Amino acid sequence: MFTKILIANRGEIACRVIKTARKMGIATVAVYSEADKDALFVDLADEAVCIGPAASKESYLVADKIIAACKQTGAQAVHPGYGFLSENAEFSRRLEEEGIKFIGPKHYSIAKMGDKIESKKLAIEAGVNTIPGYNDAIDGPDAAVEIAKKIGYPVMIKASAGGGGKGLRVAYNDAEAHEGFSSCVNEARNSFGDDRVFIEKYVLEPRHIEIQVLGDSHGNYVYLNERDCSIQRRHQKVIEEAPSPFVDPEMRKAMGEQAVALARAVNYESAGTVEFVVSGATKEFYFLEMNTRLQVEHPVTELITGLDLVEQMIRVAYGEKLPLAQADVQINGWAMECRINAEDPFRGFLPSTGRLVKFQPPAEIPGQVRVDTGVYDGGEISMFYDSMIAKLIVHGATREQAIARMRDALNAFVIRGISSNIPFQAALMQHPVFHSGIFDTGFIPKHYPTGFDASMVPHDDPALLVSVAAYVYRAFTDRSASISGQLQGHERLVGDHWMVIRLNKEGNENHPVTAKPIPGGYHVEYKGEQYELKSDWKLGESLFNGTCNGEPFTLQVERHKTKYSLFHWGTRADFMVMSARAAELLALMPEKLPPDLSKFLLSPMPGLLREVSVQVGQEVKAGEKLAVIEAMKMENILKAEQDCKVKKIVASAGGSLAVDEVIIEFE
Amino acid sequence: MHDIIHQLEKKREAARLGGGQKRIDSQHKKGKLTARERIELLLDPDSFEEWDMFKEHRCVDFGMDQAEKTPGDGVVVGYGTINGRLVFVFSQDFTVFGGSLSETHAEKICKVMDQAMKVGAPVIGLNDSGGARIQEGVASLGGYADVFQRNVMASGVVPQISMIMGPCAGGAVYSPSMTDFIFMVKDSSYMFVTGPEVVKTVTHEDVTAEELGGAVTHTTKSGVADLAFENDVEALSMLRRFMNFIPASNKEMPPVTPTNDPADRFDYSLDTLVPDNTNKPYDMKELIVKVVDDSDFFELQPDYAKNIIIGFGRIDGSPIGIVANQPLVLAGCLDIKSAIKAARFVRFCDAFNIPVVTFVDVPGFMPGTAQEYGGIIKHGAKLLYAYAECTVPKVTVITRKAYGGAYDVMSSKHLRGDVNLAWPSAEIAVMGPKGAVEIIFREEKNDPAKLAEREAEYKAKFANPFVAGARGFIDDVIMPHATRKRIARSLAMLKDKQLDNPWRKHGNIPL
Repeated sequence: MFTKILIANRGEIACRVIKTARKMGIATVAVYSEADKDALFVDLADEAVCIGPAASKESYLVADKIIAACKQTGAQAVHPGYGFLSENAEFSRRLEEEGIKFIGPKHYSIAKMGDKIESKKLAIEAGVNTIPGYNDAIDGPDAAVEIAKKIGYPVMIKASAGGGGKGLRVAYNDAEAHEGFSSCVNEARNSFGDDRVFIEKYVLEPRHIEIQVLGDSHGNYVYLNERDCSIQRRHQKVIEEAPSPFVDPEMRKAMGEQAVALARAVNYESAGTVEFVVSGATKEFYFLEMNTRLQVEHPVTELITGLDLVEQMIRVAYGEKLPLAQADVQINGWAMECRINAEDPFRGFLPSTGRLVKFQPPAEIPGQVRVDTGVYDGGEISMFYDSMIAKLIVHGATREQAIARMRDALNAFVIRGISSNIPFQAALMQHPVFHSGIFDTGFIPKHYPTGFDASMVPHDDPALLVSVAAYVYRAFTDRSASISGQLQGHERLVGDHWMVIRLNKEGNENHPVTAKPIPGGYHVEYKGEQYELKSDWKLGESLFNGTCNGEPFTLQVERHKTKYSLFHWGTRADFMVMSARAAELLALMPEKLPPDLSKFLLSPMPGLLREVSVQVGQEVKAGEKLAVIEAMKMENILKAEQDCKVKKIVASAGGSLAVDEVIIEFE
Repeated sequence: MHDIIHQLEKKREAARLGGGQKRIDSQHKKGKLTARERIELLLDPDSFEEWDMFKEHRCVDFGMDQAEKTPGDGVVVGYGTINGRLVFVFSQDFTVFGGSLSETHAEKICKVMDQAMKVGAPVIGLNDSGGARIQEGVASLGGYADVFQRNVMASGVVPQISMIMGPCAGGAVYSPSMTDFIFMVKDSSYMFVTGPEVVKTVTHEDVTAEELGGAVTHTTKSGVADLAFENDVEALSMLRRFMNFIPASNKEMPPVTPTNDPADRFDYSLDTLVPDNTNKPYDMKELIVKVVDDSDFFELQPDYAKNIIIGFGRIDGSPIGIVANQPLVLAGCLDIKSAIKAARFVRFCDAFNIPVVTFVDVPGFMPGTAQEYGGIIKHGAKLLYAYAECTVPKVTVITRKAYGGAYDVMSSKHLRGDVNLAWPSAEIAVMGPKGAVEIIFREEKNDPAKLAEREAEYKAKFANPFVAGARGFIDDVIMPHATRKRIARSLAMLKDKQLDNPWRKHGNIPL
């Protein structure tokens, strides 16, 4: 076996590979950019080599630097992770020439599958179902429009070298095809250094189901069942699960066999994924593309098959035979993965960067909860790389159990300092349509057409929140009442009757409760019901683990002045607790309206102000482009929300922006 | 006898109604609570003992002898408890003659102040007054002065807290201004020496009362007030919380609130708080919140002179005063406003036996004509004076920069700092490497390569805590994650610290 391997990647996947290598007794080498010098994977690796500045173009994407690092450290093989050079045939070939093993498929397999146009031809030859489209290079946006018309809208415009949703546009008309083609070409050139683009029919109501395949250098192939990745937001996967609630054994076999046929057609060695678009109505499936690398969502396959895919990749790269045949492949229970992204679901999912003031993932429980992450408490989320900071993976005997475990795990995931999509994930986890298993890749745009806001996460057990608010307040109050220096015989006696006030946008709700101390917690009476709450929570802690009438629950608490915010199942509930008399007086207090910020364009995220698209004095119509902000490699266009006239341009192009920094002032 | 009791009931009822239901309703309509409602929220339930409920004004001029006399005369005074601890309170009643201050009104305030001084307990004023009772003329003015004199006598003896909950204008502002802390309620309180009308005639400025002297103005622009609250209920609830940090008098130690937050708790996230790039800011508040008990930090003046942070927290149950440079704002440098803000706070802590914990990341004093013309020399000296004079336990943690005179000022060992600790990222030097090199090697200023080399040399020599350590100017270099534990131990060691300044009438702080 190899004695030392290099991981040509960063973040959670680098950590993930290091874990397996360590288990196998293989030493690891990390390569890192200057922006990553304090990253977890650098710390975890046995050795680390700096390969250049933050921009991936100058570090993680430079094959020469990685090869040099291999030579410098004596690494015998390279695991490329996903993204970066993982599907770069040239890189794989170069390594081969240098006598370094690429822990992935051979360069010819990558080359054939990496090109979307050629891969489709190969798929047809291998007897794999494909969807209609135009497979040759397209010269210019006008040609693209003609082709799109021929295929019939909607069409999908995609970078040949793209993957993971990057460099992909959907066009419903000529204008969109024209614009989509241009921006797709630009993005492809910037992200992949290859500006070829293709167009095909966009299948409506599609499910995204992919087959994990594994091949070795001895001509053995297996498929490791499917993963359902239909829950996507802007073509980025959000939740993945295995098996798919949609696929039956017959279909699984058909898809699996086609996937293996394709892998065989390119002599595929290593782990790979054949993606299909599946019609929810007809169960027909069409080949989409083959990803010649380890997928982000590979852990769900690992949890249901019991295989370590990274280990298999390493063994195959070393020349070992697959340890199992198709008949040995099992489906054990249900696995689900939520991608935890540094983005703000309440601000249109804009990226969020900065210091992780707190990062406390839920405890890992073997066979139940797994956390793959590349960040740590006190770490930094930089604006240079993608926004995924962790993968939360759960396993259960059934889909319901997996969902229940995911909900609990999301409750226990503490992230402060930056925003995360946890509330959104929690909302999805309780969406009845998600529960039904009957959904397609349009799930998110269909059910969240205007984006996501707090009202979309109703809580189905408000009494629990009220009781915990009473608990928390009483705990703080009892603590204060234990202060020294009290007048003897006139010490503070804390009463049992309190008013829990839930603060809503529409107005406050008053909930009278009694809260009495009991050993290990408080007994709360609310609306005639009894709640015995016990917890070892300490004042000031974010995480609140407790039991309510013996049932365990986890939520998060923050205190700000006289307000207590509880976070549970994606809901944020704000409370104040006081005596009934104080609540009566509070009702006399005037309601204060938040300041009017409609006269300003504020930066919705930290980033670089790429351009200001308007001038002072210009009249702007609602929907018109005002400015472009770049953050996390993505360009974000800020549009006018209403008709307005530009009064002043406050920020200057090229400068960096903080959240809520004023960019433009309107009249 | 029965008649007397009946009369008593009647008088009490009248007193409780203050200026009558109509005026109470009008007070509520303005978003304000009445004087008694405020006391009810401030004190522990049923703990208020009222004095001088029957006191009436003695004015006979301008028809005041004809007007109906309201028992209590526009101010409710007495004592009670906050979490079982004794406090004296006066609460001005705007429903009675607009809360205006008469001679008798002032006498009531003086009475509780005198008693508070005798027993050693804080005085809390809930201010809501239209000003002097004009009908009384100089008698009213005399009343103010009697209160002022007591404010000064009580200063440093018992804590005095002012909560401005309505108007407070003209001479009336000077009583709160001499108390230790001023809190205000947004939109319903204002403080100014002359009101918007006078301002308009004299300076032709058009300004609203809120803009001129509202809570936001005084907590962001003038620094007169320490905190601004959303409404009366929040204000009084937070005032209760605030009182848990301060002792009853200068003869007592601050109150202890037991905690189950371990004193030796490590927080490894602090190890990455200070960025490698010395020009990159970080939020010092994160350190404070992660160090104090239960993450409970009661910040004062959060929106004024934000380059310095002041406030209370606890370590192992005992209150501490925290002063910290804030690298997020003006790189944490000291200027006029921040020096005054911190100096007054340090002096309060010193007067009331509250140990001072200082977190240092200071690149120096702010340069510029605005600062020099504004008198940074004198104002900066206030902070220096305050720290040097201070005899309570002083623990200092240098997280990054401690440059120049500002290093000396920020509770350095030289100013009798008891325990001075430094993080490994600390740089204790006369100035930053770049500036230092440009001066020392002036003749090489046209040779950037050489200068860079010199800078690296300077950095290697001084950009670390060891030079200061070698001289004993810091006692130890500690890991950031252990900051809470090390502070806790230092404070435990210092618990019985004895240090006295030489006798004098009073020092002459550069005012």
